[in-house]
Amino acid sequence: MDPIFLMNSLWVMLGAILVIFMIGGFILLEAGSTRMKNAGHIAGKTIFTFGLASIIYWAVGYGFTFGDNANFFVGLSDFFYSGAQIEDASLATSVFFVFQLAFAGISITIALGGFAERAKFSAYVIFTILFGALIYPVIAHWIWGGGWLAEHGKQDFAGSTVVHLTGAMAALAATILLKPRIGKYNADGTANNLAGHNQVYTALAVLILWVGWFGFNAGSTVAVDEGFFGFVALNTNLAAGAGAVAATLISWVVLGKPDVPTILNGALAGLVAITASCAFVDTWGAVVIGFIAGIIVFYSARFFEKKKIDDPIFALSVHGTAGVWGTLSTGFFATPELASVGLPGLFYGGGLEQLGVQLMGVVSSGLYAFVISFIILFVMKKLVGIRVTEEEEIMGLDMSEHGSYGYPEQFTASEAKLDS
Amino acid sequence: MANDFDSYESIRKWKENHLSEYAYDTYTLNQFHDLIMNKVFEAAITRIDNGKPPCDFCWFIAGSGGRLEQGLISDQDHGIIFKISSVENESYFLQLGKEVSYGLHVVGYPYCQGKIMSSNPMWCKSLEVWLEQLYRWMEEGSLESIRNLQIFYDARGLYGEGDYVQQLKAFIYQYQSNQPGIIKRLMESVMHIKNAIGPLGHFIPIEYGKYQGCIDLKYSAFLPYVNAIRLLAIREGLYETSTLDRMDALLQCNGAEVELINSRSNFQQLLDYRLILAKGNRYEDAHYLQISTLEKHDRKVLKQILKDGKRLHQHVIKLIEKEIGC
Repeated sequence: MDPIFLMNSLWVMLGAILVIFMIGGFILLEAGSTRMKNAGHIAGKTIFTFGLASIIYWAVGYGFTFGDNANFFVGLSDFFYSGAQIEDASLATSVFFVFQLAFAGISITIALGGFAERAKFSAYVIFTILFGALIYPVIAHWIWGGGWLAEHGKQDFAGSTVVHLTGAMAALAATILLKPRIGKYNADGTANNLAGHNQVYTALAVLILWVGWFGFNAGSTVAVDEGFFGFVALNTNLAAGAGAVAATLISWVVLGKPDVPTILNGALAGLVAITASCAFVDTWGAVVIGFIAGIIVFYSARFFEKKKIDDPIFALSVHGTAGVWGTLSTGFFATPELASVGLPGLFYGGGLEQLGVQLMGVVSSGLYAFVISFIILFVMKKLVGIRVTEEEEIMGLDMSEHGSYGYPEQFTASEAKLDS
Repeated sequence: MANDFDSYESIRKWKENHLSEYAYDTYTLNQFHDLIMNKVFEAAITRIDNGKPPCDFCWFIAGSGGRLEQGLISDQDHGIIFKISSVENESYFLQLGKEVSYGLHVVGYPYCQGKIMSSNPMWCKSLEVWLEQLYRWMEEGSLESIRNLQIFYDARGLYGEGDYVQQLKAFIYQYQSNQPGIIKRLMESVMHIKNAIGPLGHFIPIEYGKYQGCIDLKYSAFLPYVNAIRLLAIREGLYETSTLDRMDALLQCNGAEVELINSRSNFQQLLDYRLILAKGNRYEDAHYLQISTLEKHDRKVLKQILKDGKRLHQHVIKLIEKEIGC
């Protein structure tokens, strides 16, 4: 057998494993950024929704994204994927499938981050199915599956738009419809800090995601030719570093102290932003893209909070705002040598054309994800309800949704105190 | 003011009716507070053994009261020094301390959360035991004992033998002349300030909660001045307790140091701000200044006050580090 075929397959399989391991990062990120009473719920539901998303992706997601006989929205073959090998493919199709499944899983996990600390478990179940079938595959098809944006030369190497912006727009719809958590805002409009219960979890989450991102971005080369994945990994790491540094600086200047959640968001924003552009830009471009992402994520989080959009895990800012910036960034920084898709960016004499394509991609994909998510969640809200009761929210979702605590000793001890 | 009040409640009413007449400047307001607290003490002492204390004593106030810097509403900080050590005297003055703390609470001076009250045995002792305690605090140098020392530096006698406070302070200064390193320890305990001005000269207001968008005047503005000036006063062995008086005395000893020149007017301005803020607010609200409500000119003034406070604070730290060595 062709050794390149085998090496490609192995490399992408490694990428898939890294991306799936990012789910662990999201568990720690979301649990660390929220309160103890919801920790078990967050851990459990994330594993569950990844499981469910895998089944949906196998049944329809993959076919909708990459299938033949496509209409404007989706492809229409390869449902219930059998593991069949595509002829003349440069790697095992089953490996490619697992890799793509992992991306779909990450996108849904981001979307569900907007539900944090107040949504019913049943809302997670229903929305995972519908997002996995109707939202993610459409945008993935448009950009990666040969759809209309692909035809325009839209650059999104590993999914700033497809994975992150799509997830974030669904999270935005959810956050708006769910309304803020109890206690987040005071009657006079001032906001309270409902601090996450474990910054160490959140920081470890960022590290796991950072490492996982090598699978995400460098793995998206889906080939080992010329070791190009090394360059992609290099850019990825530079942007993450620049994002962390920029966020540290901006919070230090504005708040007077380097703020830990902001530092962590900065690294993630750098990663999200470079996801679209990692294969198309020079190393200095990666540093600038990551640095700007680290600054805008800080202001974005403050903006949403001011607008009374309660986003406990900063999904909107990290994945949405940084996703938009990352997608647009190739319109500025893509180099003639590296732009294997589309055109060079504005700073390399490419004019405004690529920037225009990127903008069109962001607006159309973002709108589609937001509008469909909003409709789905609105109907769910009217028919079955998406938010737990006030009493359940105060009690915590560990107990209300699952009947057991993530930190049993913590809560059983205080309950015993109350009883005595 | 009427001479006799038959209850704390009647003092409280009188205070509430007359407070606004005295609230036009901080000094006058503090004279008024002194008067009220004296009346409370007199009422308290009458209630215990018909006003016949077993020996001479001094009732002193500390904290903002000691510094003559109380706002409209302040919590209580006070202690007792009595002349003769005995179990009976200790029990009498503690009982008196509890009574006066209760009385002050009724009259509108909330209990001190840090328990700096005559009802606390630590702040109600004979002269002799006070000396031992102060010596122990200075020797220990723990965070708590150093904080207590700082509080004691601001004490002034309000009722009884005021000289006891001076005697105890003289003892501290004597210790300090042999052990000058103590001032460095005092400095270390007040080195942290809540920064309210960023490197670009912008305000850093409170991020969350009901004081969102406010500057915490107590921690960001008052304390840098109060703490820095107290350190300089200790260094010179001054007995003044109010920050403004300390500044005057320091200017006389040292001449017009650049860092001190603006401090006096800045501090006076801060006291005025607080008085304006305090009107119609609860005790804790009086320390928070909402930036968005300030005119452009006031913002500029406040920024300068905050910057100067930080500069003064840093100047004092450097000065002491230079003298004592790191």
